[in-house]
Amino acid sequence: MTILQNGAPGSITRRTHPLWFLLPAYGLLLVFFFLPTVFNFVYAFTDWSGFKAAINPVGFENFEQLVSDGTLFRSLRITIVYAVLVALFQNVFGFGLAVLLERDTAVNRIARTFFLIPVLMSALAVGYIFQALLKGTELLAHTTWTVVVVALIHAWKWMGLSMLIYLAGLKTIPLDVIEAASIDGASRRTAFWRIRVPLLAPAVTFNVATALLGSMNGFDIVQATTGGGPARTTEILNIFIYRTFGQGLFAQATTMSLVLFLLVALMAFPVIYVLRKREEVL
Amino acid sequence: MKRWIAVGAALTLGLAACSDPSAAPETSTAEVTWPAPDTKLDGVKLTIWAAQNSNTVPKAVVDGFQKATGATVEVVTVPDPYEQSVQTKVATGDKPDLAFWQPTASMLTAINARTNLQPLTGAPWLPSLDPALRDITGLLDQTRYAALVTSPAVEGVYYNREVFAANGITATPKNFDEMVKLARDLKAKGVTPFYEMGADRWATQWWVQVQLADAAKAGLWDRVNSGQEKFTDKTILDTIKTYQQLIKDGLFNADIKTAKFEDQGTALLDGKAAMVVQVNSFFGQLQAKADTATLDSKVGFFPISPSGNVGTFIPDQSNALVAFKTGDAKREAAARQLLAYWMGPGYQSFVTDRNTVSLQTAVPSPAGVPKALLDVHASLPTSVGSMQALAVANPDLYINLADMIAGTMTPEQVAVATQDQFVQLAKAAGYLK
Repeated sequence: MTILQNGAPGSITRRTHPLWFLLPAYGLLLVFFFLPTVFNFVYAFTDWSGFKAAINPVGFENFEQLVSDGTLFRSLRITIVYAVLVALFQNVFGFGLAVLLERDTAVNRIARTFFLIPVLMSALAVGYIFQALLKGTELLAHTTWTVVVVALIHAWKWMGLSMLIYLAGLKTIPLDVIEAASIDGASRRTAFWRIRVPLLAPAVTFNVATALLGSMNGFDIVQATTGGGPARTTEILNIFIYRTFGQGLFAQATTMSLVLFLLVALMAFPVIYVLRKREEVL
Repeated sequence: MKRWIAVGAALTLGLAACSDPSAAPETSTAEVTWPAPDTKLDGVKLTIWAAQNSNTVPKAVVDGFQKATGATVEVVTVPDPYEQSVQTKVATGDKPDLAFWQPTASMLTAINARTNLQPLTGAPWLPSLDPALRDITGLLDQTRYAALVTSPAVEGVYYNREVFAANGITATPKNFDEMVKLARDLKAKGVTPFYEMGADRWATQWWVQVQLADAAKAGLWDRVNSGQEKFTDKTILDTIKTYQQLIKDGLFNADIKTAKFEDQGTALLDGKAAMVVQVNSFFGQLQAKADTATLDSKVGFFPISPSGNVGTFIPDQSNALVAFKTGDAKREAAARQLLAYWMGPGYQSFVTDRNTVSLQTAVPSPAGVPKALLDVHASLPTSVGSMQALAVANPDLYINLADMIAGTMTPEQVAVATQDQFVQLAKAAGYLK
């Protein structure tokens, strides 16, 4: 926010516009971002449901019930496994593609475009296409491995974006650093692993964080591919929330989405902190 | 600074004023008026919500009604899963004038009928309905909220007549045990007796429910509703165990875990399996695959229960309509008028157009209704309500049973999970304090 203390050294003293000009912007922020989040907290402590008109506070009852019921923990576990797998696959594929397609040849340019197409596709379309492709195979019917298959599909859809960001990272590495390394006698392999990869740290931070936290909030691809099956082994939390909301248990569904929100926040801070730490050595 | 405080205060007040957007005052069941079906309604626009499998049902009625009254009626398809989508829309304040809706107590509770729906007290078409079907469903706490337009679905056994004949079976089984014995004989002859769809899940619950038909007649669901009996008690748990045992004994298709609804229909028509425990929508699928003559010669139906041939009825969304309280008195009356037209002057052309069984004694069923559907309809007067029809909440029994088929849950775990969810839903609905 703009600092308006008069006379403080280095501060902006010239008022070009009155402060209340900010009100519309903050008003929008409040109504469309702050209030929904507040309601997410408030409704979690009520008995809001599709069955009756009144909404009464119930304290921590929804939380107690969720904790006593094993379904929440199972869904949370599946969600985390899914998110970690997606983050892993998406970054490995994206990184591999970026390195493969780094040089600006005509073929590479065309190939990059093709790998970016899935990013632009509707997630539901991707899900339904793969569901049709894999129909009848064991791949979508195995109670252990289907979650991996769905994570691969998710990674397949988004790997183009990771590729783009890694490419941008690779392009920004100054050529003289690489030249200096080769003059110092570093092989291409050493230069790649010891110089170029560490210099990609900011790209890694962005890619890992968005893939991990984005897939924690995943829904569309899983819903379209498996709908949570087989035997609910791919029922990530958002599918569970969707099911609960659909039963008219709005407060319980809100409570779950609050739990998901807190979990994402809890995971985001350490993950981003650790990845940022890696950037500090630069 | 003061300005900021004022803004903050206004927002806090706004927050406090927010409540359930679907909330409307619960109206008393005052006198409901029924306009004559042909009253002029020029300029009135009505919306009907329908599911993907029911959006063609009202076509003939809508055409006739528009011609007779000058009203405009739009049928809007709400995407599947229909019930969830409708509940979500209604919860956020979006309401049609009419909607297809499962007319059971649990689903009327789920849409908060007392607040959201118009009572259909004194509906003019009731006297002409078959007395056996008049009060079979559509009621919640003695108030009528749903209009039954087609014959409600019945859980029972669809069988392939040719497979039965080829194996020397001349009479259909007289009770559940006889059916299981017949299945074992068929298996010994190398025929797959039953076909189940573990991947699409929802039909799994019919197996438990048909076994509970006699208990349901004896008030099982009343006891479950009041908490005197649980899914984990012997009555229900035993039926889940029996279902699992029959699967373990190899009486079902080998691909039970991955089979889908579509496969089930194909298997029965092609004679790859002898029997399928299903509801009317299954027959709808068969009708899409074969003509009436083929179906009449190939597919038969019999209801089943432990004590005999008692069916379990489960009206579904395509069988009935509800009228919403929209707050617009003119449109609310027009919605009632449309129902009165549908079940009155429009009924004959409706059943003819849909080629479906008539619910009214004075209106004959069209000649082309398949025999199996007539048998289903004939089983209604003696049939008993399903879990959906009689329990106050509708837990995901079918998902748990499908998990059991996939091998991730035991029958005991199925019962516990279903009971827990039943309690949760019943409590939210104001039952089971």
